[in-house]
Amino acid sequence: MKPLLHILFALLLSAVQAAVLRWVGGGSFSLMLPAACVVYLAIHAANVEGSVGAAGVGYVLDLTAGTTKGLMTFLAVVAFVLVRAVNAAVDVRGRWGFAALSAATTLLLSVGALVLVRMAAPVEVAPGVRLLPRMLLEAVLTGAASPLVLGGMKRIDGLFRREDPGLLR
Amino acid sequence: MLQLLKRYRELILVVILLLVPLGVFFARSKKPAERSPVDRAVIWLTSPIEKAVAWTVTGVLNGWNHYVALRGAQERAGELSRELNLLRVEKQQLLQERAEVERLHKLLAFTQASPTRTYVGARVVGIQLAPTGLQLLVIDRGEEDGVVRGKPVVTADGVVGRVHGATGHSAEVLVVADRNSSIAVRVDRTRARANVRGMGKPGACKLDFALRSDDVIEGDLLVTSGTDGVFPRGVPVGKVSQLKKAGNGLFLDAMVIPTVDVTRVEEVLVVTSWEATLPDVMLPAATTGKSP
Repeated sequence: MKPLLHILFALLLSAVQAAVLRWVGGGSFSLMLPAACVVYLAIHAANVEGSVGAAGVGYVLDLTAGTTKGLMTFLAVVAFVLVRAVNAAVDVRGRWGFAALSAATTLLLSVGALVLVRMAAPVEVAPGVRLLPRMLLEAVLTGAASPLVLGGMKRIDGLFRREDPGLLR
Repeated sequence: MLQLLKRYRELILVVILLLVPLGVFFARSKKPAERSPVDRAVIWLTSPIEKAVAWTVTGVLNGWNHYVALRGAQERAGELSRELNLLRVEKQQLLQERAEVERLHKLLAFTQASPTRTYVGARVVGIQLAPTGLQLLVIDRGEEDGVVRGKPVVTADGVVGRVHGATGHSAEVLVVADRNSSIAVRVDRTRARANVRGMGKPGACKLDFALRSDDVIEGDLLVTSGTDGVFPRGVPVGKVSQLKKAGNGLFLDAMVIPTVDVTRVEEVLVVTSWEATLPDVMLPAATTGKSP
């Protein structure tokens, strides 16, 4: 149930992001807010529900970004694994850390997609390295907005938290 | 084996989650993207959200633009309104000045067309067109400017009247339409003689002493004949209208519409002296005149 809610939240984020970008900037820059969901799952979720949730978020990214199916799903799971590894080495707790990790994940997803598409797609349709500045901007903006996603994901997790019996507060 | 699977189930799941999408990606990367019904259903879910966000953003923007951003609009509108009023007044003044310049140009052209005459230009400073009294204009030139009783007063359009009385710096002009005014005229087209007499109200004169046998038609221009010793010859007086030829009697019955509307005239010329000879444009070949 929880991964499904995470996926639905990612879907909501994608929709809001698309609508907001239509009004703010008019497409001159982009965001990848669901990437922050992957980071959250990597930090806070268990292995199974986190990886399933990350795959689901990747599927949402595939759908909303219009990429070839499987691309962002694969990359989201890769990002999940990598962030989990990073989180094992460096304990990420604060908002700034989360934002930095979200920005890095966004960049990883973008660059990963660039590399994979260049590998798979015909040369004439493959994206070029000229997109890198745009990817950097997207990563920075997503990182800046990621604390909002953190708050949303925490609320969803809060719905599933059980009070320990006998605990006095 | 089952135990092994159970032990590494999480790892296996992650590997599956990595390999399956990768396989799907490479399998589909050469084909054009197609969306399954499930994909379309998921995309469809996002549509109301996007619409709601668009509605909210539009509402907020409208609220901002139509309410919050209009702070100070009333003051600005007031300022603009005041500015507009000033500009309107300025425009009105400019229009008046332009009209005045045009009138003065016309008068100047008139004076240049008759170089043998001398004129004193004057402004109309008062009008007395009481139905029971005399029909008078007051001008701002008087005896000290050479304006004396009896001098003809004209504009570029024609006769205004004659000086009825003068003081040092002002004079009264008895207009053509006054009952006491009678001007000797000729029909410009046929040179037939007649008189134009005022009827006591602006714009209304009568044609007197035009013989029934004379060739006069409605619309004929009447010009001063100069035979009355007051007006120089050839100055337009009015046009014949409402012409009636009675079955009997000596004279024609007709009205005259003065060429100068005294209710609107602002600048006039007082003719202080003139020669008998008039410019060719105003003189018919056979006529002669006399100076006062």
